[in-house]
Amino acid sequence: MDRALASALQERFSPTLLTPVRQRFDETEIRVSIADAVPTLRALHDEPNFAFEMLIDLCGVDTGEEMQIVYHLSSSTTGDWLRVIVPGVDRSAPRVNSLVSLWPGAEWMEREAYDMFGIIFEGNRDLRRIYMPDDYLSHPLRKDFYLADDASRSPAAGVRNMERAGTPADATRATALRKSSGA
Amino acid sequence: MTTQQTRPSLDDPRIAIPSTSEWYEPAPTAQTERQAEFLNLRDGEMFINMGPQHPSTHGVLRIVVKVNGEQVVDLDPVLGYLHRGVEKLCENADYHQAICYTDPLEYVASLFCEAAPVAAFEKLMDVEVPRRAQYIRVLTMELNRIASHTLFQGWMALDLGGITPILWSFIERDEIVDMLAALTGQKLLYNYYRIGGVNGDLNHEFMSRLGNWMSRAAAQIDSNTGLINENELFVRRTRGLGTLDQATALRMGVTGPNLRATGVPFDLRRDHPYLVYPELEFNVPTRDEGDSLARYMVRIDEIRESIRIIDQVLHEMPDGPVMAKLPRLIRPRPGRAFGAVEGPRGAYGVYAISDGTDQPFRMRIHDPSFVHLQLVGPLTRGNLIADTMAVMASLDPVMGGVDK
Repeated sequence: MDRALASALQERFSPTLLTPVRQRFDETEIRVSIADAVPTLRALHDEPNFAFEMLIDLCGVDTGEEMQIVYHLSSSTTGDWLRVIVPGVDRSAPRVNSLVSLWPGAEWMEREAYDMFGIIFEGNRDLRRIYMPDDYLSHPLRKDFYLADDASRSPAAGVRNMERAGTPADATRATALRKSSGA
Repeated sequence: MTTQQTRPSLDDPRIAIPSTSEWYEPAPTAQTERQAEFLNLRDGEMFINMGPQHPSTHGVLRIVVKVNGEQVVDLDPVLGYLHRGVEKLCENADYHQAICYTDPLEYVASLFCEAAPVAAFEKLMDVEVPRRAQYIRVLTMELNRIASHTLFQGWMALDLGGITPILWSFIERDEIVDMLAALTGQKLLYNYYRIGGVNGDLNHEFMSRLGNWMSRAAAQIDSNTGLINENELFVRRTRGLGTLDQATALRMGVTGPNLRATGVPFDLRRDHPYLVYPELEFNVPTRDEGDSLARYMVRIDEIRESIRIIDQVLHEMPDGPVMAKLPRLIRPRPGRAFGAVEGPRGAYGVYAISDGTDQPFRMRIHDPSFVHLQLVGPLTRGNLIADTMAVMASLDPVMGGVDK
């Protein structure tokens, strides 16, 4: 684990970081707001003392109360993974900036996040469903989407249509993501 | 008395023959800017539909190709035919069940798709894997890498029209698959790794088969390789085809052999070490050309490196337990972890979030094939239709992982 990376990140991005840099095992984690996300990622990519030239993964996370976009970056210079979390994306109208201008390879991953969570990535020229059919209505990885198996135990029990709109009252049941851990 | 049978006449008003304009499905309406561009046919252009099965049957994929004569103008892969919602299923399964859901994602080399979630869960649980289990994981993963690469070797030749190499490849692959079946009890979807170790120690049948195979593996792979590498048709067909440059490869998020074929020596085994890889000696083969031939050659070099690793592992394998002591019900503390392994196709990653219950709160699975399939469009633009398959074969996507 690279302590120097943590202090360099803290020093360079301190005004934009929402929480202090966290490190556990070989992972380093920072949190930035929606507006700062793309400039921060661009700086991490361009500046030679970070040189995170690879976007390994981009995914959405639904915590039940808000959405997050999570980026995993890799650099061939340090043996660390950098995780950039963009929390606080509005759950009812999720909308963030696209990363396609920086990493064109993010295009399909953003399409997937759109398909699964309904997150709109502004600037992605091809934001349409990638797995589900075009006429599909809901976004399956959201926490208010229940699996058929799960239906008997859920407030959606008895509702044949899995694409029930709205948030059931206990959709946040599994949302025990501890606030204290900063999730 | 028989009733007279009259032949139906096309003039019969009851038979409605659609006018030619109704023969075709209405063109899909464009939802995005990019799709509108794709659907706009210029003079002399037409669409050809490949699939949803053919694209050289790497899985169920459909590709809509826009062609001008024999030349590919643009191309739009349509995914989702194998989509099972594995990430959602994993959120509704406990940690042990989630591992076996990830198996069928990568049905050609499924040990890697197990290794990634196991690595993530072990970080969540903060558990130390016994050294013998680490060695066993390295051994089985490298065997699986060889099995995957030999299959690729034959498959690529098959996509270019050569039938023989795939039969030779399957001799090797069957040998390895049988070996792993003796160890794990399964031929394809092994479900062998557990959080904190592996499911069962090495057994006699596995070791005797492995010793047998190792004694002739290098020679056998050389003869398989000679069959293709010295084939002028193959070399001329693939050299300079689908050339990917280094900058594009990095920006497209390419990993694995496809990236190393452009000259970037990036290998998770060396750059983000896991298990006992730092103690083992191996090279990271690279090529500079970035074309289909280079992608093929890098994989062949990797087979040789894997044999080297297996050799070292067999010499240095320590004794000891193969499972760490863990409670039967896995309940990690709330937190996040990212586990990644270097597979035969690139970096497999799993991002797991725990909320303190026995089920993962979110389990994101990253598969390299998904990223590499994006390249089929940019790499085939301007080439001939027949070369689409050559480029796709050289990228080596597996649709199970693409569609999740």
